[in-house]
Amino acid sequence: MIYLDYAATSPLLPVVKAEMERVLMLELGNAAALHSSGQHAKEIIERAREDVARLLNASPEEIIFTSGGTEANNTVMATFAGQKIFVSSVEHPSVLKSAKARAGEFKEIAVDKVGRVNLKRLEEELHEKPDLVSIMFANNELGTIEPIEEAVKCCKKYNTSVHCDATQAFGKVKIDVKKLGVDYLTVSAHKIGGPQGVGALYVRKGAKLKPLLYGGHQENKRRAGTSNVLAIAGFGKAAEWCWDEWSCKKWGEVAKLRDLLKRRILEEVPYSNCNSPSDACLPNILNMSFRAAEGESIQLYLDLAGIVVGTGSACAAGDLNPSHVLMATRHDAEVAHSSIRFSLGLDTTEADIESVMAVLPGIVEKLQGISTVEVKEENE
Amino acid sequence: MNKKSQPQPSIVSQTNEKVNTWAYSEIVKEHFLNPRNFLMGDEAQFACDATGIVGNPICGDQMKMFIRVEDDKIIDVKWKTYGCASAIASTSALSELVKGKTLEEALRVGPEEIADFLGGLPKHKFHCSVLGHEALSAAIAEYHAKKS
Repeated sequence: MIYLDYAATSPLLPVVKAEMERVLMLELGNAAALHSSGQHAKEIIERAREDVARLLNASPEEIIFTSGGTEANNTVMATFAGQKIFVSSVEHPSVLKSAKARAGEFKEIAVDKVGRVNLKRLEEELHEKPDLVSIMFANNELGTIEPIEEAVKCCKKYNTSVHCDATQAFGKVKIDVKKLGVDYLTVSAHKIGGPQGVGALYVRKGAKLKPLLYGGHQENKRRAGTSNVLAIAGFGKAAEWCWDEWSCKKWGEVAKLRDLLKRRILEEVPYSNCNSPSDACLPNILNMSFRAAEGESIQLYLDLAGIVVGTGSACAAGDLNPSHVLMATRHDAEVAHSSIRFSLGLDTTEADIESVMAVLPGIVEKLQGISTVEVKEENE
Repeated sequence: MNKKSQPQPSIVSQTNEKVNTWAYSEIVKEHFLNPRNFLMGDEAQFACDATGIVGNPICGDQMKMFIRVEDDKIIDVKWKTYGCASAIASTSALSELVKGKTLEEALRVGPEEIADFLGGLPKHKFHCSVLGHEALSAAIAEYHAKKS
């Protein structure tokens, strides 16, 4: 199988798996208990907290472990319940929907054709003095990196708090919370080769936080519930591994493969179009649309050929609406229905790209051939 | 289970566990992989008596049926579809179901029969079989309109 859906979830790193197997075999108590087996569990959690904090240039006490990115995002939105919350229109549903559900006043900040927030536009919106602005570090469907540092500077002028969902960018590009100046930042383990079901929220020292879950004293009274030691241990290991990997500059190699795939698709697949930006883009994401060929069909033909990709059509996922990201950027439902997201990992090879190109043109041509939609070049 | 007549579920080979890795039925897979009676490329190559088109690419699905009729019988049928796997499989299945049937019989091939023929469709994909039925109904209506 050729796996090109790393942005959806990335397989467990072997070092993470080994660490989780080790922890699984330990006779651990409840991390909240004072006895030795409880303290052993606590030590494992605190080491993981340091590893995650280091990757973000945060202090360990600024990191709260959660059940994932969705919980981290919801926690921030719940903190600002009843207040004025503005979010970019290409945010993940866990930001968009939770903000919409909780805000006293809610607004979406429009983006350009590649999903980037326009800073001038942001500044105009800030005249309305929102209490919280949420802009993602990089978009999960397109790979577009947002100008967070500049956005934070704008927001600070208006005393507006800033949340950044960095789930997709985490581990792939340098994230320095001190330099960015954000108040809240979300990360998730399973996008960096850690286990599913665990994430973290960075809360700047001094920034307010209202717990989503009340109960015990865990996570410094900011997130109650018995700690998921096994998952947190895996998360810490994945973060440690990412920290070490950066020196290898391997993501630069991934970006080269991504660019190769893009070039070859544009050259070899008729009526193909790139939806990802050519500048300031995550190294591993490529979103393409194929005129007159529907995304789910392309995805499933590729799947039957042993190639796993994502789709912006969301058709397979039980939601028939096209991707809100592509609707916000391209304003064309047919483009959104006809898009495929390729997301590469550190294991991706040039041979994988070859394998995709051996079947993709034929698949798209077949679907275009039987399509009711006439193929034509897209007007730029 | 008889291997020849019953398609086997997809198996993840690394484990001993039998896991179905395909979201639809095996019959949908077969019709998606090897669609029957589709019209490839230029529509003009198929001389037909009537066509019917329903759906919209904006909504993610569009189907067009082309029928050739003799003595009130569908003697040949072709189709074009823009859409997901179940949309392609639905039109493919429908074309098989109605070929050789009288117009009256063909109209009675409803969405349920198409879905049943395919071994069932997920709830949120049932509309694919509805669209197929509507496209054929539209083609038959056009045939009657042309004749009168």
